[in-house]
This record gives sequence, structure tokens and C-alpha cells, in this order.
Amino acid sequence: MARFIARRLALAVGTLFVLSFLMYGLLEFALDPLVDLRENPAPNRQELIDNRIRLLNLDVPWYQRYFLWLGNFLTGDFGIAWRTMQPVATLVRGAIATSVQLVFAATIISILLGVTIGLVSALRQYTSFDYAITFVSFLLYSLPIFWVAVLLKQFLAIGANDYLQSPTVNWPLVVILSIVSGLFWAGALGGKRAKRIQVFVGAFVVTLAVFAGALLTGWVNNPTIGIVGIGVLSVALALGVSALFAGMNNKRALYAALTTAVLGTVLWWPLQWLFFYVEMNWLWIIGLLALSLALAALIGWLFGGPDRQISIRGAMITALFTSVLIFVDRVLQTWVPYNNAPQIRGRPLATIGASTPGLNADFWMAQLDRATHIMLPTLALVLISFATYVRYQRGAMLEVLNQDYIRTARAKGLSERVVIVRHALRNALMPLASIVPVDFITLIGGAVITETIFGWAGMGRLFITSMDGQEVDPVMFYIILTGGLAMIANLVADFLYAVIDPRIRVNA
Amino acid sequence: MSNDRFQNNEPDDADRLEQALPDGPQADREIGVDANDAGEAASARTGEATADAYGRGEGVGEGQEVQGLSQGQIVWSRFIRHRGAIFGLVTLGLVILLSVLSMGIGPIPGLWRVQEITSGDVIDGGRPTLSVPGIGGATGFAIGANPFGQDSLGRDYFAQVMLGVQTSLLVAFILGIVALLIGVTVGSAAGFYRGKVDMALMRFTDLIITLPVIVLGAVLGALVSRVPLRIGAGPELTASIRENMPVMLAVALGCILWTGLARLVRSEFLTLREREFVDSARVAGASDWRIITKHMLPNAIGVIVVNGTLLMSAAVTLEAALSFVNFGIGPPNISLGYLISDNQGAFSTRPWLFWWPGLFIILIALSINFIGDGLRDAFDPRTKKIPSARAMAKAEKQLVASRGAASAQSNGATAVQSNGATAVQSKEDAS
Amino acid sequence: MSSTPSRSVFTDAIKLSKDTGGPVAKGDVILDVKDLTVRFWVGQEWFTAVENMSYQLRAGEVLAIVGESGSGKTQSSMSLLGLLPPTGRATGSADLKGTELVGMSIQELREVRGNEISVIFQEPMTALNPVYTVGFQIVETLRTHYLINPGAAKERAIDLMRMVEIPDPEDSFNKFPHQLSGGQRQRIMIAQALACEPKLLIADEPTTALDVTVQAEILKLMRQLRERVSAGIILITHDMGVVADMADRIIVMKDGRVVEHGSSDEIFNHPQHPYTQQLLASVPHLAEHVESTEFDTPPRTVIEAEGTPVPLNEPLSDAAPALLMEDVAIVYPKQGRRAEFRAAEHINLRVEQGEVVGLVGESGSGKTTIGRAAVALLPVREGRLTVAGHDITNASMKELKPFRKTVGIVFQDPGSSLNPRLPVGESIGEPLLLHEGLKGADLSRRVEDLLDSVHLPRSMRNRYPHELSGGQRQRIGIARSLALNPKLLIADEPTSALDVSVQARVLKLFKELQEQYGFACLFISHDLAVVEQVSTRIAVMHRGHLVEVGDTLDIVTRPQHPYTQRLLSAVPVPDPAEQRKRRELRDAIIEREHLVS
Repeated sequence: MARFIARRLALAVGTLFVLSFLMYGLLEFALDPLVDLRENPAPNRQELIDNRIRLLNLDVPWYQRYFLWLGNFLTGDFGIAWRTMQPVATLVRGAIATSVQLVFAATIISILLGVTIGLVSALRQYTSFDYAITFVSFLLYSLPIFWVAVLLKQFLAIGANDYLQSPTVNWPLVVILSIVSGLFWAGALGGKRAKRIQVFVGAFVVTLAVFAGALLTGWVNNPTIGIVGIGVLSVALALGVSALFAGMNNKRALYAALTTAVLGTVLWWPLQWLFFYVEMNWLWIIGLLALSLALAALIGWLFGGPDRQISIRGAMITALFTSVLIFVDRVLQTWVPYNNAPQIRGRPLATIGASTPGLNADFWMAQLDRATHIMLPTLALVLISFATYVRYQRGAMLEVLNQDYIRTARAKGLSERVVIVRHALRNALMPLASIVPVDFITLIGGAVITETIFGWAGMGRLFITSMDGQEVDPVMFYIILTGGLAMIANLVADFLYAVIDPRIRVNA
Repeated sequence: MSNDRFQNNEPDDADRLEQALPDGPQADREIGVDANDAGEAASARTGEATADAYGRGEGVGEGQEVQGLSQGQIVWSRFIRHRGAIFGLVTLGLVILLSVLSMGIGPIPGLWRVQEITSGDVIDGGRPTLSVPGIGGATGFAIGANPFGQDSLGRDYFAQVMLGVQTSLLVAFILGIVALLIGVTVGSAAGFYRGKVDMALMRFTDLIITLPVIVLGAVLGALVSRVPLRIGAGPELTASIRENMPVMLAVALGCILWTGLARLVRSEFLTLREREFVDSARVAGASDWRIITKHMLPNAIGVIVVNGTLLMSAAVTLEAALSFVNFGIGPPNISLGYLISDNQGAFSTRPWLFWWPGLFIILIALSINFIGDGLRDAFDPRTKKIPSARAMAKAEKQLVASRGAASAQSNGATAVQSNGATAVQSKEDAS
Repeated sequence: MSSTPSRSVFTDAIKLSKDTGGPVAKGDVILDVKDLTVRFWVGQEWFTAVENMSYQLRAGEVLAIVGESGSGKTQSSMSLLGLLPPTGRATGSADLKGTELVGMSIQELREVRGNEISVIFQEPMTALNPVYTVGFQIVETLRTHYLINPGAAKERAIDLMRMVEIPDPEDSFNKFPHQLSGGQRQRIMIAQALACEPKLLIADEPTTALDVTVQAEILKLMRQLRERVSAGIILITHDMGVVADMADRIIVMKDGRVVEHGSSDEIFNHPQHPYTQQLLASVPHLAEHVESTEFDTPPRTVIEAEGTPVPLNEPLSDAAPALLMEDVAIVYPKQGRRAEFRAAEHINLRVEQGEVVGLVGESGSGKTTIGRAAVALLPVREGRLTVAGHDITNASMKELKPFRKTVGIVFQDPGSSLNPRLPVGESIGEPLLLHEGLKGADLSRRVEDLLDSVHLPRSMRNRYPHELSGGQRQRIGIARSLALNPKLLIADEPTSALDVSVQARVLKLFKELQEQYGFACLFISHDLAVVEQVSTRIAVMHRGHLVEVGDTLDIVTRPQHPYTQRLLSAVPVPDPAEQRKRRELRDAIIEREHLVS
């Protein structure tokens, strides 16, 4: 394994080297650092040009300049953006984190959503649900990302902010959404006609009630979850997790998950005190999360039984979810002061930048601020790449369901839940390792557009502005960074693949 | 870790998988077998007299002097039965017709009143004059002077959008052809010769896919716009180069979009090479060239056509995105992406400037995608062997009815076992 | 899933799944099938795959369902478990000890599957989930039907693995399927199927994917097990040899209908239905025409001895041999990180003009490699390879061109050896076009002649391969290989993908053509009985070496090399009485060699 990684690393470095050389050459012809001076009527034009040439070493042939640049780059000098004379290192300091945040959030969300929906679509092959999902994924496939981003920014965000300022319930829309939700769940859960109608009515009523409740009680203007919400949601999840991963027969796993949910809910109260008296930071949050997971593992272990691992796993998933809920709940508690802050003035959905400048925020409000900013650009990226995962995962799942070992599993008398979750899912997820890096690169490209539209000071926007400004050094930095990220993504995928596939892991 | 992993799990295999099994269901293959055997057995039974000479299944319909359908005819008949593909074909045809009829093509003028894009008075805030009954409270159908409205300079937006459609389609088409040529050449060479050739070509491909297409595209777009300066062209030449910018851009972008296709063709060739008819041709004395062109490429045509189509749809959105960030098409040419980019500031007051070009981008891309999907199904012999859940339920009713009638006469058991419906069953367990 | 927990042989475990009908004793009727009909919704109508099938199965009995592909033999059994594809529907009645299986709800069926009825599938390679250990997959079956703690389940699984003679079961428990050989994987499938002590075991072509020596071991195991478990066994197979080895009673199916049903003795010795008679007549029978096993002369075979390869046989005439291999080695070069592989070494073989030599071996023995090298599809690394006077050892592409006129090859898979995009007439005509430059009417006439010679109607030249049946495609393949009237024909498993009755006809055609054209042939096959029918001499390959070469009669009656002996004894013959004798010999050899594959 070590040899394999070393080989791939060497290959990656070689590729990066060739890539940077070729790109440097292309940029030499694509960019013209003298463009602003050529038409310059100033009398000292020639002098300015000479200065520029000296500054950027333009008198040296480009392939020699490349090695100068490379030498500097390798010693940590990334060059300058000559328009502002700022070193590239300073320019990119914040930008990298911003972009990485965006791309990672979008990748993770689209994988989770896309894979889930693709799987369900495969299980419901040739039903109306399947056809609808296929159509929607085609539609998303055909949407240009910049158009979606502008749409979200110009129409959704501004519309939503307007609404929040003067809420009036749009009943037809609510009813339509409820019908859509009803159809979605009826299609996804499938079954006989009577069951589908039941599910439709149930989902319709629940959605309608939630919307009506949220809108009529003014919840949207003061969103909170509260201990009751946390309790209900955690218990529901505990039931769901147990049903899916352990089966309702496994009483021990069920009780372990339920106990964890209840304990998590009860802990909400003391945690509020902790959050009040202690200034939080990420270290604390991670520590608390680790603690809750450890507690859950203990609960699962104590319930024990022959399948300790299943109980532990179920309890830990429940604990993770409950912890996230408590975190979100605390963040939402800052909604009212955030909304009333002078920089926000009741328009919380941000369309420009990655954070509100000059906002006097504590840890919690900063998280809320970050969330309101990252929401739309992430949504734009997710809408685009999610379709790829849906189609891909649907195909992979159908292929796996076609395999002989699935028939063997059925012939053994396993329940359909076990056949799908244990035997099909794991095999269907394996080829994902090869699609994620490709999509990751596409998302980096997508980020170029979304950052430009949403005014994020990220790497993508830096790339566009530097290209516009004819600045080679920042563009080269961007190319190396992107290439490097792509290589890492590929390496991680290879590694994951090796980990999950015993055919590669064992006697590789 | 063996080389297999590298070959089998390249990213493009993802598409390949989709490609190979867009709808390959649990029982697809089994059904396929059954259907074939069924057909064979059934016809053997009907034509027992002729079948005797060669046994069951063999010699089916031998007496008839029927010329069989060629693969192409089969694909075509499947394609025209694909509803989505026909929808795409018709929509795309209508869009092309509309743009050509209204704005003409090349030197031939069109029928629309505005043939030169000039600024003018902004009438009624530039609102679209198109009205269709039932939408926005309109009572009658009317086109009016500016059906798609006007931009802030009073220019007719319909004419601009139609020109944009032409540019976008032109770019998509040229780009598709260029990418197809490069992709097929690289892919077939790598797949056929394998070894060192393959290694070198695939490294080169890897190099290109390391960067997002939009990034490479932006660099190439900037490069193309710099051409007149770099070759030191005079004003006239510069103007003519600028006129033909879309073509140059399309060629440049074609040079980066071929990678996916090349990998697909390569893996197709790697599989085809293992097929015995290739060895058969080799033993018969066929040269490399003949084997590639006569035996292998025709068998990879499905992959090539389908992905060529999808490439064109990707080209439409890529061109639009590049034009949006100013590295694509700009004046004097008009593209759909450029229209959106150019009017960005005016969206809150004139939203139609956003909707019309967007609508046409989506219409074009969606139609091409549907055509591609139709082609994919048409080329894959295994698709659509399975009836939909609804058709199956209907069929079952029919069976129960006929069994019921039969059992009234004879005393046969009538229990119908719907055991095959495992897929339907699954959610009952999951829920 | 739940029901009345009941005690069972697992003294410490509670059974989750219901037992149907209580314990069984040998001879009880456990399965009573009446009017079982299976239909598929194909196109726009119901196609009947199995029609009104009725039979009874007793505990401890082996019922073989035989038939060619498409006869409905598999679907009839899958319908018992509700494992039909989504478009399939079963009607009629199948009574398992008082429980009606047809029309049972999926929940109830689940308690039957793996518990009362279990299945052994054909492909052990793909029938086990690659991401779980084999131990886990056995334990999973146990724990689905029993409330049993993991430790006890593991113990029971290891017991089962020991019962099916998996070497070192404790260690193998944690192995993944890809770490086991094909035979071992099939043993795991059997262990898994026996885990819950089912009343009925369905074995769907259990040995078809295996080599003949491995098949022999699995058959031996299954015979032992049928003595130990009281289950009834349904054996689905197309191989009459396997049937003769295992079956007590036999059902012969054709086109979804039962054409004959009787005891093993009745079917083999007094078949009534013409189809059964034809089927039995089509099956090649090893050493069928051997009159006596007493010989005056010593056997004329040469075998590989310690370190010395089989020497080249003496020339029979002065004419240049059709094929001459002198100390040939064929090597697949190192590819990426896969080490180079010596597929065949020290091969000495002479095929005289007009002579048919059979080349026999199991999968991976290198027999196909030799065939491909003989037509210059693979380069020869060492030694010298001469075909009809052309030395092609290191020939370039250009030098090969005249050589190509002298050889032809017929491949195994008729589906793959014809270009799907070309009408078959063009495929046949290609060698003529390339070597003789024939075009238009001349070409047409020659193609028509060739079609005549393989007994296909001339109109077929315009058909595409997918419109032809397997047997027709193989005839086209033969016609194509004979287009240039070659001196040497390589036939690489030309009949293995065909049903027996089609195989018989293709073999007949082959012999006829060989007499007519007089080409020499290297006939490659894994099936000794087929090779025996067509060849005058036989060469046996094992792990890249020729181990024995000799006259056909001597090889099939008096093999000298231990491997040939084992191979020969492993072939089941379609005659229950004779197979009973052969079985003893076979089991003795397996015992002796302690070979567990």
C-alpha cells in the first residue's frame, strides 16, 4: 500500500509539473500585461512599458521565465499580482479557506442527496417516481450553473427577504408544495395502490400542517427548535435508524437508539447553561461531539446482546444527529438579534460575500452569519452536481441488483431490507469512489462561477479577476492549487476504494 | 493493487456503466434470455416442419427469403419509439426553424422586421409585447413589435436572442465535431494499440482533465481573443477574425472537451479487442486499419454517437458560462450567455432580459440531452425489455382473468403468485 | 418475520422461522407439484415458460430436471421459492409438506427460503457477495432463521465448512470469496445451503462452471451429503453425465413441457419419447466404441517424465507437417504491475497433414494459448513454430500475409466471433476479399458455395449474426474459416457453447467437411468425449505443459500419466450403471491424491 501511494504521488507531482509548464506557455499567449499601456496616450508611455517589462521579466523568453517562476514558487514565493502589487500569498490567504468551504459543503451535500435519491429511484425502477426523477435530473443537467446562481440570487434570495419583511401566506403555493411532497413520498415509498394513497394523504397533511404552523405562528421570523422539537426529531430518527440498519426485531438496538435520543434531549438543558457561561469555540464543539459519541457508544455497549456493534452504531448515529440538532438550536437562538442587527436590517439571506462585514457577532451568531451566506452558492452548486450522482447511482444500483449474489441473498431468506442495505448498497457505493474526484473537479469549476456571482472573495473569483487583469502569478497559483486538489481527490478516492473493496485490500 | 483497478474504475467508467446499463434491472438479463429463448422456442413450435432439419430453434423461418433488418434500422426503429427523444428532436427542430426563419442564416436575410441590431426608443419600459391567452391575464394572442421586449438601449431582444441561439448552436456543433474527431482518434489508438501508446495518450488525457473545463476554457477563450494582436493583424483582418470568433472559440474548446469521449472509446475498444471477431478478422488477414475502421469503430458507434450528442449539450452550457464571465463570445457576436452577462445589472427592473436567453439555453440543452438518451436506449439492445410497474399490474389482471375463465372449465388451481414483485416488495420492508 | 419459536437440532438456538410440516423421514413425500405453470410477460403477451408440470419428490431422493437451454427447467424450480424475475408469474400448486408455496406471501416465503428450501447456484464466482467473508455469509443464513448468538453460529459455520471439506475451516472462515478457488467457493455455497438443514435442496447446474476434475470432487461431496441429510434434492442440469452420476429419477423437459418422467434406469435404458432418445443419442459418450480393454500391444502414448517434456512424435510421412511446434514457449508479457505469465512451455507437437489432433485440458491449462499461437495471434517466445512449411516464429506482419491463407480458426463463442455489424455473407467473404481480391459476383458465388457446404440456405448471407441461432452462427464460423481452403484449422472449443443436440449436428458436419476438404486440425476442447469423437490422436495439457500425447484409443482406455488418469476418471458418462463403476475408481483417485480444489 505504501508503495502504491508513493507511486501515485510521484505520478501526481510529475503531472503537476507538466501541467504548470504547459499552462504557463498558454498564459504567455493568452494574457497581455501591457494591454493597458498600449493605448496609453501618456508621454512617458515607453518608459512605463519598460518599467513593466523589467518588473515582470518580460524580456526573458517565457520558458526561461517559467523556471524562474518555478524556482520562486518552490521556495515559497508565489509572486505578485502586479496591478495592486500585493503578494499572491496575501491575496490567497482567506480565499483558499472560503473556496474549500464552499466546494466541500457542496460535494458532501450532493453526494448524500444524489446517492439517496438515485438509490430509491433504482429500487422504484419503471414507476412514475423513477420517470419523474429521471426527468428532473435531465432538467438539472441542462441548467447552466451561472443561470441558476443568478436565479437564486436575483429572484429567490430577494424574494425570500421581501417575504420575511412582510409575511403574507401564499396559500396556493403552500398547497402545491404539499401536493408535491405527498407525491414524492408516495412515489418513494411505493407499494400497493392503497398504501400509496395513505402515504400521499399522510405526507400532504403533515407538510401542510408544518407549513401552516410555521407561517401562521410566525415561526419563520423566529425559527427555533426547542427541547420539544429536539425530542420529537431525535426519537423519530432513532426509530428510523433502527428500522433501516438493525431491523425492528432487534429490540436491543432499538432501545439503545431510543435511550440515546432521550438522553440527548435531556442534556439540552444543562448544555444551555454551559453555552451561556462559557464562550464557545470549535475546539469545545468538537470535544462535546466526541463526548456525546462516546456516551452513545457506551449506551450501545451496555445494551449489548449478541450484536453489540449494531447497537453501538445505531446509538452513535442517533447521538450525532441529536448533537447537530442541539447545535442548530443554539445557533437559531441568535436569529432575532442577528436579524435586527444594523447590517442585516431584516434581510437575512445574503447575496454578496462570505460574511457580513462589521457584524459584532459571538461564536453562535458568526455561525448563523456563515450559514446565511453559504446557503445560496452551495445550493447552486448542489443543484448542478446532484443530478450526476442521481443518474450515476441509479445505474450502479441497478447493476448491482442484477448480480447473482443478490439472488443468493434473497434465496437465503433475508428480508428485502437486509438484501438492499447490507448486500446491494455496499457494492453499489464502491464505484462511487471513481466518480467523486471527477465531480469534485467539476465543482471547483462551478465555484468559479458562483463565487463571481455571489461576490465571494474565493479562489475562483481570484482566478477570473486575475485573468481579466492579465496577472500571471495569481492565475498560476490557482492552477497549481486546483491541480493539486484534483490529485489529492484522486488519491483519496483510490485509497477509499482500496479500503472498501476487499478484492483490492486483501492480497493486493 | 493491479492494473485492473486502474482500467476498470476510471471515472469515465461511470458514464460507461450508465451507458451500458441505463436501465439494466435485476432481471433484465434473465428476461433477455427468456425472451430470446421464448421467441426461439415459440417459433420452433410453429414452424416444426422446417425446424426438423436443424433442430429446435435452429432454422427458424428459414424458408422465407426475408432480408433481415440491419443494426441501423433496428436502432432507428427503437429511437423513434422513444418519447423523450422525439420530444427533444421536435423542440430542437422548432428552435432552429424559429431562429433561421426570423434572422436568416449567413447572408440570407430572415423574415423578422429587425435584421440589424440597433438601439432605439424604449417603449413601455421595454416590456415584452408577446401575449398568449391565459398567461399574465392576456386575452388574445399577439406578437407585437418587441415580443421578447427591449434591453435598456431599446434594442429588440427577440432579434438578439435568435442570433444568440444561432451562435450557440453553431458553437455546439463545431465543438462537438472537433471533440468527436480528437476523442475518437485518441481513444481508438489507445484502446487498439494498448501498451506504450495507450500509456502516453492516457497520461495526456489525465493532464487535461486535471483542470476544470471552465478554467481551461477561460484561458483558451482569452487566448483566442488575443489572436489578432499576437499575429499583428491589421484592422480589416482583425475585424474579420472577430467576426469568426465563435468558430475559433468552438475549435479551441473542442480541443479540451474530447477527454471523456476518448476514455469511453478507449475502454470500448479494450473490450472489443477481446471479442473473437477481431481475432477472426486478423486471422483472415485484415490490416490494423481495416480492423479499426471496418470491425471496431462500427461496433463502438453507439458510444460515439451518444456521447457526441451529450458533448454538444455540454458545449451549449459551457459556451454560455464562458461568455458570462467574458472569456467567451463578445461583440460583435451575440451569444445567449453574453446576453445574460451583458444585461446582468438590469435584471431586477427588466427580468425578461434574464428569462428569455435562459429559456433557450435550457430548451436547447434539454432537447439534446433527451435525444442523447433516446440514442442510448436505441443502441443498447437490452433496454426496455421490462414493462413498467403499471403495465405489469395490468398484465397480471389480464392473467388472473384468463385463469379465472379457464378454471371455470377445468379444475385447475388458480392461485397466482406475484412472487416476482420483489422490487415492489422492498419498500414494504424498508418502511 | 416471527412465529412460534420451536426447538430444533440447534440445541442452544431458537428457530425464528416456521418449520413446515414437522420432521421428515426418508421416503416421505416432501414436495408435491401439480400443474405448475410459469408465464412471462414478454412484449405484449404472456409467454408460457413452464406448462402444467407435475411431480412428487421424496425425502432423500435426487430428482434431476434435464433439458436444453430455454426448456424452462430453471424457472420451474425458481418459482417454488418465488425467485422469478419481476415479469414472471407462477400458477398451479406446489405443496411442501402441507404448505402451499404458490401464491404464498413474501413474508411467509422468506421463512421458507434458506430454511426449508435452499439453492445452490451455478456460478460460485458471482453467487457470493465479494465484500463479505464466506464465514459471514454462512453465519448470516443461520442467524436469519435462528436466534443464535454469533459465537455459536460461527462454530456451526465452521462445522459446516468442515463437512464440505474446506481445508483449514477456522482460517477460511475469514476469507473473502476471491481468495478461494472455484471449487472451494462452490463448497461454501453448499455449506450455506445446508446450514439450516433444509427439506429441499435445489441445485441449479451446480458443476457447470467448474472444471471436470473439480466437478468430480463436488459430485463426490454431494453424494456423501445426500446420505447424511434427509433432504430431497432437485438437480437441474443439461449434463447427462452428471445426471447419470447423481439422479434417482429424471424429468426431461423441452420447451416448457415435461416430455418424459421416470426412474434413472427407465430414462437411460428405455427412453420412450423421441426427444429423449434424440437427446441421449446426441450426448458424446467417452470410450463408447471401445470393444475390449484387453490389448496385445503396449500403449502408444508418450508422457512427461520428471523434468523432461513430452518429445516430438515421429513423423508419419515425408510431407511437411501441418503444424510443428518444437520446444515452444508462449509468454504473456508483463503488463503494468502484473508479472509476466508463461502460459505454455516446452511444447513439442506435430500435426501431420490431414490429421485431426485433439488438445485437451482444463481452464487455464494453456490449450487456447497454443491454438492462438498457431495462427500467429500470439508471438512465440522460445522454440520454433512451423505451419505448413512457413516458419512463423519471428515473422513480421508482412511475412505473415501468405501464411494466413494456410490457416483458419473457429472460435468457441459463436456470438462473439462474428462482427455484429456485418451481414454474415460479408464475414464469410472477408478472407476471399483480402487474399484473392474477389469482388462482386465471383465473391457471391464463392460465399454461396461455402454456405452450401455447411448446409445453410444461401439466403442467409444477408442476415446479421443476431438473427441466427447459436448453431447457425457456428456453421457460419466454420464456413468462414474454410473460405481459403486452409491446410490447418484450429478449432477452439467450437461446440462448448452449444446445446448437446446442436453440438452433435455441428460435430457431424465437422467430420463431413474434414473428409471433404482434408485439412489438418488441432481440435481444442475441455471435453474428452467430444475430442475422442473427432480426433485420431490426443494431446493432454496441464498447467502449461503437455503431459501426455498418444493415440486416441490409448489415451481414453490406457492413460499413463496420473493427470490423464484423473481427468479421464472424472468425466461422468451418460450411463448410470457404467458411471457407478467409474465413480468408485474416481473416488479412489480423489482419495489417493487428497486433492481438494
